[in-house]
Amino acid sequence: MDRLTIERIGGFAGFGGSRLKSRGEVSLSDLAPADRDAVERLLADLPGSAAAQGGAAPRTGAADAFSYRLTVQSPDGPKTVEAPEHLVPSAVRDSVRDTLD
Amino acid sequence: MTYSCCLVPRDVLARLSSDPSLSATSRKAFLDTIQISHEMRDLRVQATRMTSVAFAHATALTALALAPSVTIYDCKGTQSLPGTPVPNPGKAADPAAKRVFGTTSEVAEFFAKVFGRNSIDGEGMTLMSSVHFGQRYNNAMWNGLQMIYGDGDGQIFVDFTAGTDVIAHELTHGVTQHSLQLDYSDEPGGLNESMSDCFGSMFRQWKLKQDVTQADWLIGADILGPAAKAKGFTCLRDMADPAGRHCLSPQPTLYAQVRPGMDPHAASGPPNLAFCTAAKTLGGKSWDQVGQIWYAALTGWGARPKTGMKDFAARTRQLAQTMYPGAPPVAAAVDAGWRKVGL
Repeated sequence: MDRLTIERIGGFAGFGGSRLKSRGEVSLSDLAPADRDAVERLLADLPGSAAAQGGAAPRTGAADAFSYRLTVQSPDGPKTVEAPEHLVPSAVRDSVRDTLD
Repeated sequence: MTYSCCLVPRDVLARLSSDPSLSATSRKAFLDTIQISHEMRDLRVQATRMTSVAFAHATALTALALAPSVTIYDCKGTQSLPGTPVPNPGKAADPAAKRVFGTTSEVAEFFAKVFGRNSIDGEGMTLMSSVHFGQRYNNAMWNGLQMIYGDGDGQIFVDFTAGTDVIAHELTHGVTQHSLQLDYSDEPGGLNESMSDCFGSMFRQWKLKQDVTQADWLIGADILGPAAKAKGFTCLRDMADPAGRHCLSPQPTLYAQVRPGMDPHAASGPPNLAFCTAAKTLGGKSWDQVGQIWYAALTGWGARPKTGMKDFAARTRQLAQTMYPGAPPVAAAVDAGWRKVGL
């Protein structure tokens, strides 16, 4: 439940395809309280959450922006949400590493 | 407008607003700023919606300028937009700022001379770009108001301003926003991306004075870094061979392979191949006839955000006949392009 896995997708290059990946992992307990709150809001269907603000959809009119696929393990299995970059805390954004597969 | 807005990341503001080492006054100021930032974001969304309304009703407006101004800002490694203004960017010591200024000006000239369009909105809109966005940031994007360029990580990608097709690609997202207004998901999203690749490639060919046989039809060839090249990749996408092994981001080649929810950068493969095939079948310069048809389909049809690939193919087939009634090879070439991808 504490482990947050992150995949950055999209962008001009189309990250998340078969050859270009951007992945990271953080412990929720290692995040600053404000960042942890922000992630928990993204994962929950609460007012202000990613889902409430359009889910994975980028800002209206935006193109080539990154989105982040955030996954935590819960008692019911893995829970995944996709959030536009501007809603993801920088500590989470900065955890990803771009790689060639 | 929101051009003067400098957006501090929300998480930074949230952290500061709950930092016990700061005074209550300061914490409240940061909390207030979060609210202001939220309202500013709403304003940006509203600005985009305004595009739709203005597009539909503002035919009597006069142009802002006969040719667009080009402004460059430097984010200096932050994600704070737009950054600080770069004075006299055409003579800037910073190569990225100078390059973006020069290429953006050339893209504006391309749209004006080849398609008779005055800037992104057709009304002389100022073309605003920010360079050095973020740290080792592997991306370039259009945020609804301006272009944004990262420096790349120096391994997989180099500076995203190094690609003339990249800059034209981002500017074309602005043109799409001010014309067909395609959504950014599913088939409209794939078409949206394809428009940017088509006009990005056309601009590169126009700048290099290449005909369709001389063109390489590659997207992102100039921004690949040493790690990507060492693995044999020569581009992000290849409009002539979307599934090629040399593509860092391979794409489907057939319309039947496009799936709901697919990344627009993947779904753009079939329409990219259709455009490339049509242009190569006809021969000559891509922007002379096939490019004109694609431009008319993009800009002369009103706002149709839900346009699918079948609709767009039908529209270009129709335009080929009405725009070039005395030249049957044009319509045949467009038809060959779409047939190649199963449409």
